[in-house]
Amino acid sequence: MEKIDLYRIHKSEYIAPKKPTLLQIEPAYYLAISGQGKPGNEKFTTKIEALYGVAFTLKMTRKFKGQQDYTIGKLECLWFIDGKKIADQTSQDRWRWKLLIRTPDFVTQSELDHTITTLLKKGKEPAIREVNLELLNEGQCVQMLHVGPYDQESKTIAIMKSFTEAKGLSLKGPHHEIYLSDPRRVPSERLKTILREPVTTQ
Amino acid sequence: MKSATLKFYKEKLLRVLIYIQQQLDEPLTLKILAAQAHLSPYHFHRIFTGMIGESLHLHIRRLRLERSAMQLKHNQKSVIQIAFEAGYETHEAFSRAFRNVFHLSPSQFRKKNRSIQIYSRSGIHYHPNHILKNFKTQPKQKGIQMKVNLKTLEPQLVAFIRHTGPYSECGTAWDRLLTLLGKEGLIDSKTQFIGLCHDDPEITPSDKIRYDACVTVDKHFKPDGEIGIQTISGGDYAVLTHFGSYSKLNESYKKLIGTWIPRSGRELRSSPCFEIYLNSPENTEPEDLITDIYAPLK
Repeated sequence: MEKIDLYRIHKSEYIAPKKPTLLQIEPAYYLAISGQGKPGNEKFTTKIEALYGVAFTLKMTRKFKGQQDYTIGKLECLWFIDGKKIADQTSQDRWRWKLLIRTPDFVTQSELDHTITTLLKKGKEPAIREVNLELLNEGQCVQMLHVGPYDQESKTIAIMKSFTEAKGLSLKGPHHEIYLSDPRRVPSERLKTILREPVTTQ
Repeated sequence: MKSATLKFYKEKLLRVLIYIQQQLDEPLTLKILAAQAHLSPYHFHRIFTGMIGESLHLHIRRLRLERSAMQLKHNQKSVIQIAFEAGYETHEAFSRAFRNVFHLSPSQFRKKNRSIQIYSRSGIHYHPNHILKNFKTQPKQKGIQMKVNLKTLEPQLVAFIRHTGPYSECGTAWDRLLTLLGKEGLIDSKTQFIGLCHDDPEITPSDKIRYDACVTVDKHFKPDGEIGIQTISGGDYAVLTHFGSYSKLNESYKKLIGTWIPRSGRELRSSPCFEIYLNSPENTEPEDLITDIYAPLK
């Protein structure tokens, strides 16, 4: 049984040139966990661990049973404030985020429930319970590669914004980041992140 | 660079080199030679190769061939007898090896006035009645950027599955380990993935190489079935980060153990080296893989 890599299958959705590009994103399933507050704080880290723990345990349970195997997706995150876009100067304490790991559509809710039970029995953080299976339908998006520290994204976003407006469209949010580099290992000036902004004709 | 350690290692290797010259007919195993040097058998071969510029095996073979050349010139022994003494089972095998380095057959060589010395970077040659006093250490290659960090580790409990065979096939052990522990929820973003390397691929036949695929676990972990448990010893380590494909890891080991250690002011401890994999080969291109190599220090 061939192992599935969603990023290869949906290669066209992960095109990230150094200039903005307009593309269509198909609906996709994700394991997701939400929270609020400054990125990188303790709560944020705990939730990343919960999400990653669920993703890994779920995949390996399937693999052990001989079910279809797949590569665990990269960490992704949606950023917003009260359902709206984040303006530059808002306090990071009010930022809301939803951490995501893309997951094949054959993974079921009952597999997720079983995984959460296994992990809670092992004494893992109660945040495990908050992991959901969600369908995200982003539709038409503008996408671009950002190279450098996360706190310097505003330059890249500005380029994406003027590109979008020149096409008679506007950014509607939420702002979506796909982390290609591990910030614990890669120096911040070399971090690669795909920035994705859903757009609307309004 | 600490010249004191270089001298320290040089003196130890000199004892080994003299021993080899004197015991050329004996089986010269890694264990025996490491014991002569009072060096750990885990690391001896990489130190030897790094400082002498040829592997132990090639060194011994070269000296035996130089001795054969000397015998061809200076005594009346038959070629086949000389071949046997050099450790070759047939005349043909000996002739082939001999021709490879001297570009003449043994009997042609006997008639000509040629040097018995085969090129050697260390300047060491077969010399029956002469005690070796010095040799040329291999210089640190120019342009090699080597950033080695010192780290002190606490002893670390790991669950592991042993793989015996070529390094390139250790994926199966990893697959089993990660599946069995993963489904129990024992792997999360804090887990470290460690490869414990008991053997040097340049001296151990590839089907005998022992490699332990390990992941960090806590004291509540109960080993079961094919999964064992062991402690990776605490203490000081020299750490070199290897960037790129796993197939080139051995090059970094050679640099760290063979070039850096002898000049570092530190001595190696008698326990195996290990690797910590900082990203996953599952979703990383080989050229982007990052691996820390840990060499244990006294």
